[in-house]
Amino acid sequence: MTMTRTKYFALAASLLAATAGLAPIVLNAQSTETEEPGVLESRLDDERTLFAATVEDAPDDDLLELGRLVAMGGAENGGSGMACITCHGGQGAGDGAGSFPRLTGQAAWYTYKQLNDYASGARPNDIMTGIAQRLTEHEREAVAAYYAVVRAPIPQPLGAADQGELQWGGQLAAVGSAEKGIPACVNCHGPQGTGNPPSVPYLAGQYANYMTYQLQLWKEGVRDNDAMNVMSSIAKKMTREDMEAVSEYYNRVHNPVTTGN
Amino acid sequence: MADKTLPKTDVVIIGGGWTGLTTAYELAHEGRKCVILERGDHRHDATSFGAPEEHDELKYGLRYTHMMNVRENTLTFRNSRGDRALPMRRLGSFLPGEGLGGAGIHWNGQLWRPLPSDLEMRSHYDNRYGSDFIPDDLSVQDWGVTYDELEPHLDFFERICGAAGTAGNLDGEQREGGNIFEGPRSNEYPNPAMKQPVSSTLFGRAAQEMDLHPFPFPSANVTKAYENPYGAQLHPCTYCGFCERFGCGYFAKADPIICVYDRIKEHENFEIRFKSTVLRVEKSEDGKTATGVTYVDADGREIFQPADIVCMNAYALWNVHLMLVSGLGTPYDPETRTGTVGRNYSYQTISAVDAFLEKDIVTNPFMGAGALGMVVDDYNGDNFDHSDLGFVGGGYIACKQYHGRPISYQPVPDGTPSWGAEWKRAVRENYLHHADFVIHGSSMSTPENFLDLDPTWTDQHGRPLLRMTFNFPENDRKMAKYVTERAVEIAENMDHVTSVSATNLAAEGEDYSVVPYQTTHNVGGAVIGTDPSTSVVNRYGQMWDHHNVFVFGACLFPQNLGYNPTGPLMGLAYWTLEHLKNDYLENPRPLMDA
Repeated sequence: MTMTRTKYFALAASLLAATAGLAPIVLNAQSTETEEPGVLESRLDDERTLFAATVEDAPDDDLLELGRLVAMGGAENGGSGMACITCHGGQGAGDGAGSFPRLTGQAAWYTYKQLNDYASGARPNDIMTGIAQRLTEHEREAVAAYYAVVRAPIPQPLGAADQGELQWGGQLAAVGSAEKGIPACVNCHGPQGTGNPPSVPYLAGQYANYMTYQLQLWKEGVRDNDAMNVMSSIAKKMTREDMEAVSEYYNRVHNPVTTGN
Repeated sequence: MADKTLPKTDVVIIGGGWTGLTTAYELAHEGRKCVILERGDHRHDATSFGAPEEHDELKYGLRYTHMMNVRENTLTFRNSRGDRALPMRRLGSFLPGEGLGGAGIHWNGQLWRPLPSDLEMRSHYDNRYGSDFIPDDLSVQDWGVTYDELEPHLDFFERICGAAGTAGNLDGEQREGGNIFEGPRSNEYPNPAMKQPVSSTLFGRAAQEMDLHPFPFPSANVTKAYENPYGAQLHPCTYCGFCERFGCGYFAKADPIICVYDRIKEHENFEIRFKSTVLRVEKSEDGKTATGVTYVDADGREIFQPADIVCMNAYALWNVHLMLVSGLGTPYDPETRTGTVGRNYSYQTISAVDAFLEKDIVTNPFMGAGALGMVVDDYNGDNFDHSDLGFVGGGYIACKQYHGRPISYQPVPDGTPSWGAEWKRAVRENYLHHADFVIHGSSMSTPENFLDLDPTWTDQHGRPLLRMTFNFPENDRKMAKYVTERAVEIAENMDHVTSVSATNLAAEGEDYSVVPYQTTHNVGGAVIGTDPSTSVVNRYGQMWDHHNVFVFGACLFPQNLGYNPTGPLMGLAYWTLEHLKNDYLENPRPLMDA
């Protein structure tokens, strides 16, 4: 799998030039508050990320090598406290317990944003917050890029599932529910749960327990960090059974783009 | 004679779009049994409009799969009375809807209010510029209802939609960052304005430097999780770039299905019959009232549905057609300039400006929404001095980012060949570096632009087709030229611009054509007013000649505003419903003396 990456630096500089001097009267126009052009982190809160991201460069080998080291527990500030591979595996396979999602092949910008959100508390998590805070910004970028390009097969078998539940999950995924006002997952996550990089993660092959738990966190308002800010309003319309059904369904969707096999 | 007569209902409503569903909602809650007759089919945002299927540009954007089928219903068109009208066999200039939600499912969500002066247009111009100012060849008139009267209803519809924007006049206090020219609002917009992309940011800055007053497009693309007054839950827009011509599977673009239908469909007083085409409104023997409607059901049977009240909520053009084929009111005769049904049809005057940007400015046009952009209203309505200009009316100038769809969004600078390798190269080079302007202008009514029945062509039911006679009035050509020139000035003042080009669809010497798409803002033909000799309905939307017939939609506009019609026509709808509910139901009668 080739990996593409947002070319943040040149972009931030050119846009700063484009919008410099824009008085605040143009409400909701792009912020001009980027203090240090070239700081990747600043892009996350900048609306220009949505409107002006460009996908140009493949990551260089140095970045991927750094990412691999970070994944194995090496980092500038004496390590992340716990190597990524301990729970997520060297190839990002994770496991099905519910706490450790698959990272393999996930869009790098998405994973990078999650690390920043863990660090800032925007996505609170007792384990990940401390880990993310010990990584430098460049290390977050590197490890996100690394997990975007590695591959791991889906563990087999997936276990038995109730056919009625899968049917309902598949229906929610494909057409949502007119009765409950739930839009279909495919609207954003794409056909076969491919995701819509850089901001929308893939679902195909992701662990059901993890997805169910995340939907619950969105519903409870604990997690509210998706780029387009739509997940909480969707999750609030879902019952526990809806969440489990759609998660079990996507866990079983075979998609070569995301499942790596 | 109908094949079957059904039991009487309190209210029969023709059409299941924004106004029809809203009428049913409001009257069902007043305890009146409502039956909606919708010629199209059921559909729903969740099941019918979900991506990625919905994002099929060819199917919906070019083949108009959500729109009316012109093989079943169409009209004939000519530019002037001397021409022979021919049937419009393909959709082009405008795209009327069909099916649940009507055209309300495929709008862009540009949600405007009329200017106070727009609603009193003739008196306003007479007062400011003298009674000779409005050219003689225009039949411009007052609406008979004022901004202050409509304000609560315009406000309520904004809350139904969860509108996103920035108020420019809150209770009479002008506020920078909003439209300072707008009439006083009683409330802020229910949701904050949309995020602005690169192109419109540059536009806003340039406009501001020129002492103009840019503000974010008022939008029914919702920006936050929101519950409307009917209890509908809307979600934030994802800027997917598929609004106009498409339904929204994200529950993010306010539409009649999620905002109204879902909240009334289970009500005991509500019923909707699909695949039911109304053929005519039936009149009582004395002609003073309507007795109900005759329609063709899904099995091709003619059914008579008696009703105490008939509400005409079809698309503007088809409301007028139904009046004409039913003998409601008096048809307009352009020879004698008498009669009212079909009189004062008007449209919209559209031009466009393209600004091409330096290559390091990336605009990502695919990240769009139907009402995304920045607007200046300094040249709309009578917001600027018309004394020496020789025309009335105006338009807004918007730098918008609706979409970057591959088939339709191919901006190339002037001088590019229209096909071949050079054209492909130009599309590649400019796709990401382009600012897209629309100049959305008013359209004045004239005695020579009108709707009537075609003497030659008939529809599948044997009814004469509606005939449209329309060309751009000289006034509107001058207006379009002037406002387009102002738009070009803004474009040329934008940073990072390398070239600017303009296209004016109402240019001098060019006849209006039904072929290229312009806008689905057909208005007038059954206009509102206070004088029965120049209006079809009184100021409450009630027909002068048949007091139990109420008329809704843009057919009421005496001339067209420089704004998109949905906001104003829904303001009128709630205004009419208020008087219908509070003044008419208990005591049915003409609400105004003729």
